[in-house]
Amino acid sequence: MESNFFKFVMWLNWFIIMLVLFIAFLNLVMGGGEVFDIGAIIESISPNWFASTGIGLCVGLSVLGAAWGIFTVATSILGAGVGAPRITNKMLISVVFCEVVAIYGVIMAIVFSTKLNSGASAEEMDSHAAHFTGHGIFWGGIAVGVCNLLSGVAIGINGSGTAIASAANDTLFVRTLIVQIFSSVIGLFGLIIGLLLANKLPQFGE
Amino acid sequence: MDTELAPRYASFFGLAGIPIAVGMSAWGAAYGTAKAGIAITACAQFRPELTMKSLIPVVMAGIIAIYGLVISVMTVTDLHKPDEENHYTLFQAACHLAAGTACGGASAAAGYAIGVVGDAGVRAYMQQQRMFVGMVLMLIFGEVLGLYGMITGLIILTKAKG
Repeated sequence: MESNFFKFVMWLNWFIIMLVLFIAFLNLVMGGGEVFDIGAIIESISPNWFASTGIGLCVGLSVLGAAWGIFTVATSILGAGVGAPRITNKMLISVVFCEVVAIYGVIMAIVFSTKLNSGASAEEMDSHAAHFTGHGIFWGGIAVGVCNLLSGVAIGINGSGTAIASAANDTLFVRTLIVQIFSSVIGLFGLIIGLLLANKLPQFGE
Repeated sequence: MDTELAPRYASFFGLAGIPIAVGMSAWGAAYGTAKAGIAITACAQFRPELTMKSLIPVVMAGIIAIYGLVISVMTVTDLHKPDEENHYTLFQAACHLAAGTACGGASAAAGYAIGVVGDAGVRAYMQQQRMFVGMVLMLIFGEVLGLYGMITGLIILTKAKG
């Protein structure tokens, strides 16, 4: 259904794209070819921005994964526990697995934040080392956050299956717990990479 | 070192290889673990004695995550603290990004394959126990796809060091 609002949004998108291409074309033919400098754009963004965004994404994505896992597991525990209340105490371990994923994110955020330095001067922030650290924390935070996000979701899905299986048959609890352990190991890999990377990054202004 | 070969934005592209390797292989591993895990936990209620043997797809999905970890760890140990003479060159950046993308893309695909094959394989194994060997063979072929990506990444990283 092509509503008026939808048509307007499509037109606006095309207008913006055509405007950008027109400006680019004018620059190209009027001898302004150096304007297309992705490197200069990346260099002009302060390393403080990169580092802070990396730390934020590290914690934010990890906690998102943990929350996702917790609500997925908890709904299954509560549902299956109606018929089999014995599972509720045992299945808290799945919720703890998800929580641990969030703790990994917090630990890495604290470790990365030791690299921040408010006393660094402008020349020090303009150096190769500062940009290296900024980019390193940005991508390291994304690595840790994405690993923990995926790990939390996987723990949730597998924990949900474990809850239902162990409600049906009590011996299945330990056997299906192994699947959750493999899921949580994924988040641990992100933590390892984050710690190794944080060792290599010099503090701002060092 | 010449700043043209080692500009300040080189580390933006080079260090992007680390989350691509570890993140995309984690995606493949998580998908494989979750998809096979659903089938395992569902089928275990009917045939509990076959549960331990049907954990094989989950183990193989875990190995996929290790491929990405290996490439990322090798990339990180190749980094050096940027001092006055040795900056992070564009060559190193290109190599690290390429190794990470090779391993990450291949591992994501391999994880998907292991997940779907494990799902169908476990459900078939529960009904017909002779399907076990066939399932494991197909899982191994899927696993080897991730190995190809890791080997390519290792070849590129040895070039980056030397």
